[in-house]
Amino acid sequence: MLALSITNGLVIGIIYALTALGVSLVVGIMNVINFAHGEFYILAGYFSYLFAHTMGLDPVVAMVLSIAAVFLIGIVVEYTLIRPTYGDDLYSLILTFILSIVMQSTFLLVFGPFPNKPPNWVKGATNVFGLFLYGNQRLAALIAGAAVIALFFAMLKLTWFGRMIRATSQDREMAELNGINTRRLNMLSFGMGCALAAAAGVILSPVFPVTPSAGVPVALTAFVCVVLGGMGSMWGCVAGGLVLGLVENLGAAFVSTGYKHVFMYLILILVLLIRPSGLFGRSET
Amino acid sequence: MLKVSGVDVYRGETQILWDIALEVSAGERVAILGSNGAGKSSLMAAITGVLPLRNGDIRFQGQSLAGLKPYQVTQLGIALVPEGRRVYKDMTVRENLEMGAFPKRGRPMLKGSMARVFELFPKLRERMHQRGGTLSGGEQQMLAIGRALMSLPELLLVDELSLGLAPRVTKEIYAALEGLGKETTVLMVEQNVELALKHSRRAYIVESGRVTRMGMSADLMDDTDIRRAYLGM
Ligand SMILES: Nc1ncnc2c1ncn2[C@@H]1O[C@H](COP(=O)(O)OP(=O)(O)OP(=O)(O)O)[C@@H](O)[C@H]1O
Ligand SMILES: [Mg+2]
Repeated sequence: MLALSITNGLVIGIIYALTALGVSLVVGIMNVINFAHGEFYILAGYFSYLFAHTMGLDPVVAMVLSIAAVFLIGIVVEYTLIRPTYGDDLYSLILTFILSIVMQSTFLLVFGPFPNKPPNWVKGATNVFGLFLYGNQRLAALIAGAAVIALFFAMLKLTWFGRMIRATSQDREMAELNGINTRRLNMLSFGMGCALAAAAGVILSPVFPVTPSAGVPVALTAFVCVVLGGMGSMWGCVAGGLVLGLVENLGAAFVSTGYKHVFMYLILILVLLIRPSGLFGRSET
Repeated sequence: MLKVSGVDVYRGETQILWDIALEVSAGERVAILGSNGAGKSSLMAAITGVLPLRNGDIRFQGQSLAGLKPYQVTQLGIALVPEGRRVYKDMTVRENLEMGAFPKRGRPMLKGSMARVFELFPKLRERMHQRGGTLSGGEQQMLAIGRALMSLPELLLVDELSLGLAPRVTKEIYAALEGLGKETTVLMVEQNVELALKHSRRAYIVESGRVTRMGMSADLMDDTDIRRAYLGM
């Protein structure tokens, strides 16, 4: 029971972390909170359902296509909706809030209120360390999620694009003086933030099917992750995601399923009381 | 090489610079002096494209910089060592230097320029894998200069190099700047008037957003008004 809850917690935690990384990236670079983040997660789930189920593509190809499509849509959204609001953070908040509602209604119109599920990539179950039987699809989700996170961190550390992102989130004006076209970087980062949500969406939707409004709790949890881990810290997002995933599942297993969100906020309040800057956040310098 | 003429600059609705004119020729060392709030940093911001020009023009090697963004100005061969150093605190010394070589003009030469920076400031080589934020003030200043040099600038702008540094460290860094040679033109803002006049050929004095005097540094050094106003003698 304990081992099973921990594994469940890790699967969900990795997905939370992935979603939170997207939020954190966009906040760090653009100082914009994307209220529609969860809807991009769901959109990717629907895409992957469409590509794999309706069009009959290979599930993995369908996933990659879905992420690419959401990346492009993210870029268009930045260009048309967010770009005109720079300098006034409140506007982007309101606009992405409206966007999230519009997207939810569109999902409802197109796909109906029922859950839609892209096909599994793998079948069967594995006996994990001889402790319990666990669905292969969940294990695959755990591995895929961890792999995407590892890729993202490698990108941050090793590529010019990663350096651009880190420099710009530390000192935007200095980065511009070092030759970075920060406007273009905004656009790419927003797309990439959406793509991270999309990655989480396509990875988890075979396990937890998507519904039009299922993105709301996902985004909410991602925002909590970012604050819990410490604003601006990418490692904090991962830590925050795993903590929330574990707490939620252990709480559900040993206390009650009904208190899922209560646990999340309890942890948040506790951590912020002890470390106001979050788990990995730097205290004000 | 650099020609600033009739430049007015605003921050919001407040005018900060009035009708600024100055010129720097290739290979020259020129200093800008002035008290706190005179507008020296704002002038640097205007040259680098951070602040827009309301009137006037800035030409660099014959090309107008008006309307260009900072990342475009950098591309042309102007690099700034900003007031307060502004090193990337969470990036290593090496990564900070790499960021300096981000412009296309610097990137192909990255390895060679880094070796040159390490030769200029051997301390940076020792600290190569340390995060920028863990360096001392003097080392951060060296890093900020090194980062600027990584783009192989033809014009180096230096804002308040000596601020908050021990005299010995300041001297060391100025000596390194002297070693850059004629291919790097330097325009420096310095609150330490004596240092500035010693390390420049010519100087401009900015007061309340206007250029009020200019001349050869050696002459200004001997000028009784200047000595009284800035050197306390
Ligand atoms: N970010 C800002 N917003 C509004 N006003 C500013 C800003 N920065 C500077 N100013 C104002 O612009 C004027 C010129 O400032 P600037 O920083 O250019 O002076 P400075 O000569 O570099 O001074 P210092 O020696 O203190 O660095 C000052 O009156 C200052 O109050
Ligand atoms: Mg200044």
